[in-house]
Amino acid sequence: MTLRVLLRLVKRLVPVFLTILFIVWLYTYYGAWDYTIKNIPEFFKLVYEHFVLVIISMFCAALVGVSLGTMMTRKSMEKVSSAIMAVVNVWQSVPSLGVIAMAYGFLPLIGLSGIGMVPALIALFLQAVAPIVRNTYAGIDSVSKDVIEAATGMGMTRKQILFQIELPNAMPVIAGGVRTATAIIVGTAPLAFLIGGGGLGFWIFTGIALVDTGIMVAGAVPVALIAMLFDYCLSVSEKFLVSRGVRTNEVKMA
Amino acid sequence: MGIMLSLQKVTKIYPGAGHIKAVDELSFDLEEGEICTVVGPSGCGKTTAMKMINRLILITSGKIIINGRDISRLDTIELRRSIGYVIQNIGLFPNMTIGENIAIIPKLLKWNKAKIDEKVQQLLEIVNLAPDEYRDRYPNELSGGQQQRIGVARAMAGDPPIMLMDEPFGAIDPINREHLQNEFLKIQEKVKKTIVFVTHDIDEAIKMGDKICLLKDGRLVQFASPEEVLTYPKNDFVADFVGGDRTLKRLNLFTIKRAMKDNPPVIHQDETIDTACNMFSKTDTRYLIAVDGEGTLTGIIDKHGIPDKATRVKDAVAPTNAWLTAQSSLKDGLSEIFTHDYGFLVVVDDVKKVLGWLHTEDIKETLKG
Repeated sequence: MTLRVLLRLVKRLVPVFLTILFIVWLYTYYGAWDYTIKNIPEFFKLVYEHFVLVIISMFCAALVGVSLGTMMTRKSMEKVSSAIMAVVNVWQSVPSLGVIAMAYGFLPLIGLSGIGMVPALIALFLQAVAPIVRNTYAGIDSVSKDVIEAATGMGMTRKQILFQIELPNAMPVIAGGVRTATAIIVGTAPLAFLIGGGGLGFWIFTGIALVDTGIMVAGAVPVALIAMLFDYCLSVSEKFLVSRGVRTNEVKMA
Repeated sequence: MGIMLSLQKVTKIYPGAGHIKAVDELSFDLEEGEICTVVGPSGCGKTTAMKMINRLILITSGKIIINGRDISRLDTIELRRSIGYVIQNIGLFPNMTIGENIAIIPKLLKWNKAKIDEKVQQLLEIVNLAPDEYRDRYPNELSGGQQQRIGVARAMAGDPPIMLMDEPFGAIDPINREHLQNEFLKIQEKVKKTIVFVTHDIDEAIKMGDKICLLKDGRLVQFASPEEVLTYPKNDFVADFVGGDRTLKRLNLFTIKRAMKDNPPVIHQDETIDTACNMFSKTDTRYLIAVDGEGTLTGIIDKHGIPDKATRVKDAVAPTNAWLTAQSSLKDGLSEIFTHDYGFLVVVDDVKKVLGWLHTEDIKETLKG
């Protein structure tokens, strides 16, 4: 029994350990340590900015995405929702860099600054909201009609059905959408630097511009680590949010 | 027992397409504790009729009265919470455990936790699923039959006086279906709910119903007890619908007890063969039923099968399977008679004590009424 627990622990820890080893080697090989330590206040500022970019855009995207997706499933919205879905689908095919560039170009037209953290946040948000809307809509839509009929016939109100039946049963699909959105956001966040949004992209692009791999690694590795951290946090929170009764294999594995 | 549910000229017209009346002036009264099976060919409006009772479908005209109150004056949500609802595809909530599924209505009715737990425990016991084993499992871990038992338990959780069941056993394989039907009838003996039970299967309707409500094209064709429907079908449609074998179907409605004769030729197994031979000549039968001191069936003696060396009845008795309990249906009885060569069947009680015997003639008499 204890042996099996131990074995499982080892199995889990080995990839983490190897990753850390690889990062240390990368840092040492390219001399990224020196650069990071020399610029430690800037490092923390960039990490902080990066977190702000990811967390705020993520939070807004989840909030708006789930609300909008839910609203679209209401009967009265049937006609509007297909139109919204069409927009969302097209929107999701626009590459991240394109959205960042569009934010830069478009926001000044409506009287906002195209440079800085706010346009970066808007761009990230717009990228992330699409998969969440789509999955929320599809998730709720896929809840069995029988389940809804049983709930209605038993005397649950529409609100109770939404919060106790529809959303919990759609949760695996919604969580999938949030995960996709997170992947998009952490992937796009370094690009925020291009329109003055700050974040670790600063060191990456500086490193590229100066052909100094050390600086680039000093920016790129933390970006990767942050991505892993968010993915881990999501998989943990999914365990709490998704009922065992509706968990798919995919979620179970995570 | 008063009238629990009353439909009075209930009509449903769907707008559009020629104003077809899905349900046309349907009226019937249902007494407390009765099961009414609503049956008819597909598209006859049986599901529509049922769904109007819990207002899943709104009535066009007419009245539905539950326990003396017009349902159109009641709050929809409250009305539905006071009516148990079981659907064909079960519709358990996958995100909730079995316990949570059953507890949903009590929770909505704001019962306290102790009372809810007790109810869940009690209902799981009623539907024959061990509470400790099943309470915390999820619907996807259960078989279809088990799920539908939970569906029934869930519908009964709020102690509703009335239950609506929409082909509840329709999606379950025939063997399990029969099992569930029997189990449900046993539960009904205890809980005595007033039930509207929709089915397309006339055999199920006959078996489950105290009353059968036969619909065609939204109109009531016959509303009567199963026996009456089978014995006196109102018209050709009903006769056709219940099938050419309706007399055979009636066999299901009677127990053996009702048809059997209670003076079988019984002989104690310790008697001598001479006594047996005396009885054979006196009673003019070919077979005698042998019993022990308690009157329990031990076998049958054939007049032409007595071994030469036999001195006691015991030596001549052949063990037999040709017996059934008095509670079995006449259909099983008839089948058993035809299975064996004796031309009759020994009727026993729960501990195999001989109560009587049953011939095909007795069955014929009973069917004649």
